[in-house]
Amino acid sequence: MKSQSLLTSIHPATVPDSLASHERAEIDASTRGPVLLFFGCSVFWLLVGSLLGLVAAWKMTHPGLLDSMAWLTFGRIRPAHLNVVVYGWAFQAGIGVALWLMARLCRIPLLHAKLLVSATLFWNLGVLIGVLGILAGDSRSVEWLELPGYATPILFLAYACIGVWAVIMFRYRRPGHVYVSQWYLLAAFLWFPWLYATANILLIWQPVQGSAQGAVNWWFARNVLGLWLTPIGLASAFYMIPKVLGRPIHSYYLSLLGFWALALFYSWNGMHHLIGGPFPAWMISASVVASILMIIPVITVAINHHMTMKGHFEALKWSPTLRFTVFGAMAYTVVSLQGCLMAIPSLNTITHFTDYTIGHAHLGLYGFFSMMMFGAIYYIVPRLVGWEWPSATMIRWHFWLAATGVLLMVGALTIGGLLQGLALYDPKVSFQSSLDFATPFRWVRGISGFLLLAGHLVFACLFVQMLLKIGHRRTGPALFTESKTEAASL
Amino acid sequence: MNKLPLFVIGVLCTFAFSWLGLVVYPFVKLGHLEPVPDEETGGYFPPTLSGAAVAGQQVYAANGCIYCHSQQVRPASLSTDIAKEVGPRRTVARDYLRERTVFLGTMRTGPDLANVGLRKTDPNWLHRHLYEPRSVTPWSIMPSYRYLYKMQKIQGQPSANALRELSGRHAPEPGYEVVPTDDANALVAYLLSLKRNYPLPEAPLPAAK
Amino acid sequence: MTAELILIFGGMLALSGSAFVAFCWSVCNGQMARPREAALTIFDDDEPVGLPTDRFPSRK
Ligand code: HEC
Repeated sequence: MKSQSLLTSIHPATVPDSLASHERAEIDASTRGPVLLFFGCSVFWLLVGSLLGLVAAWKMTHPGLLDSMAWLTFGRIRPAHLNVVVYGWAFQAGIGVALWLMARLCRIPLLHAKLLVSATLFWNLGVLIGVLGILAGDSRSVEWLELPGYATPILFLAYACIGVWAVIMFRYRRPGHVYVSQWYLLAAFLWFPWLYATANILLIWQPVQGSAQGAVNWWFARNVLGLWLTPIGLASAFYMIPKVLGRPIHSYYLSLLGFWALALFYSWNGMHHLIGGPFPAWMISASVVASILMIIPVITVAINHHMTMKGHFEALKWSPTLRFTVFGAMAYTVVSLQGCLMAIPSLNTITHFTDYTIGHAHLGLYGFFSMMMFGAIYYIVPRLVGWEWPSATMIRWHFWLAATGVLLMVGALTIGGLLQGLALYDPKVSFQSSLDFATPFRWVRGISGFLLLAGHLVFACLFVQMLLKIGHRRTGPALFTESKTEAASL
Repeated sequence: MNKLPLFVIGVLCTFAFSWLGLVVYPFVKLGHLEPVPDEETGGYFPPTLSGAAVAGQQVYAANGCIYCHSQQVRPASLSTDIAKEVGPRRTVARDYLRERTVFLGTMRTGPDLANVGLRKTDPNWLHRHLYEPRSVTPWSIMPSYRYLYKMQKIQGQPSANALRELSGRHAPEPGYEVVPTDDANALVAYLLSLKRNYPLPEAPLPAAK
Repeated sequence: MTAELILIFGGMLALSGSAFVAFCWSVCNGQMARPREAALTIFDDDEPVGLPTDRFPSRK
């Protein structure tokens, strides 16, 4: 250790403990089984989830659609959609990316992959049983926690195996600096079990009395997004953007500041979903203040990413990973600032209870998180299977379908939601007109659902082709054919 | 030097901060409220629920009414809820202590239901509406809950609990009738029980009435 | 009642305080001393700074 820091103090550009390329390839290979399994399952659930979402969306304009059977009713399809995309797609894609990043950044191979593989299977079993339970009518209608009480212990067990693994990897990492992505990931892996256990115990197994449930509910729902999915998304961005560009992150300090500010403020945000609700005023005020303070971590992250990208935006043309990741990073900034605004009580009174909130949620979970995950998956999978993605055109299609789909959806819901909110706000306007205002925008949302589904089909198609190894073999352990020749000519 | 334990402590502490504030505090403060005795009748506020209404909460949860209906009245300082007659007064924590799952809700695709029992007092209206919302509100986008009802042949006399006044294309064929299942009855009992029009020390009713 | 409040708010202060101490400690311990170096840990000899590592698959 000593000699290393001496060396680096003389020549600051030297990286301590550099990995030989074959070592990195070995580490990547050690994660292959579980990470590919996570990705594969997540893509499956993504398709199921988009289909459910599409049905739910069209039920809002066509209430007669598929309404004869209990398990197809809107009040079950919608939570099924949410739980499938959150626990099926987002969690599993996130865990796959997190484990891969963790192994790479800790510079150690992933051992006992079989254990993780069985944890994955367990997790999927839990999601499957839970979603069937929702459709069968066993949901307790606690938002984000609809999976019935008999499914969550399975998820919890599966998570325990996965989370412990991440912490162990970090514990036995090779000496050297800890990269900011690792901070985010480790924190997320520690936060989640606490969140999930608290929420399940207090809401599902031994429900607390009265409106305390609301507080616990939104503390959980907000933090799953903010302290579990967001850190994973940001960890990925902090790795992918510099790594793909070949430029170190603009300011490492800022990235750490952003981390601690996020940890401190985000966890307080949840109550801004309950402004005006039956709670002591200080709880709501604390949440409002914390939500507004979220500007700090958001702006630091945004500046950092922007400065890293600055002068290199043409890279979006040639790197699929970067294209998705930068889209995600921009959506993160927008959605977080939007969140700060929505917490201001005088605006919240309009947007609360309307489609605006739904638009906000999709900008966060799709525009930010899912796009980040797509980007990461485009980077990781070739390194796991040793093949190139079969078709650049299909990747472009996927990007444009996803990007226009989500922008259209969020735009429609935002405008529609505002109109709906204004109608609900004005005492002179009838309730009926709040529906009339929202309806055309709900049509647009329904159409955007088709775009997203199409994008996901393209993506699934690409993914399956990779698993079947259709496409070009990659020539070296590290680089693609083209960039290799380019690097040689530099 | 190993920074792991320290980092873990830091990370968990920042989190524990909000855990205490948003979970433990409400658990201690809001989780043990008592109903207020009503001197006039010897009853309690909020009133106890009938068994059917309690069962109805389960039906409400299972069918996801919460995704379109909220159950909370925001104070006049923060909204126009009271001017829009969502309820006579704001709702407070004590209003919810009879609910096993609290359906505060986050959407008002449909109207707030915190006080629906004040507006709709006719069980038959509620049944007709659940059976086919468009039979009473032509512009409604609420889904039909027909699957909570049975269509059956009339045996001799029509059943006492059969739905009345179903008209037009929503009416059953001649010789048939629509009767509610237990679930539908429980749900309607629950909806009828939703009245937050009693005074509480922390939320008195507006004086002039 | 007040005991509860003291416990909860005292607990909050203690926890956030210790989080802050942990943060300061990590600053003093050089976790942030050489940010440039930490930012470079993701690059290796064969994937050095300046080398892009991703692109659209080539058309062949
Ligand atoms: C897709 C959204 C949606 C769902 C799900 C939904 N509703 Fe509705 N509901 C509405 C809309 C819109 C209205 C207003 C139009 C009307 O009266 O039908 C409404 C109106 C009502 C009304 C009349 C309220 C009043 O004051 O006029 C009641 C009662 C009601 N719903 C109960 C329920 C119950 C019980 C459920 C669950 C079994 C449910 N709703 C599920 C959208 C929904």
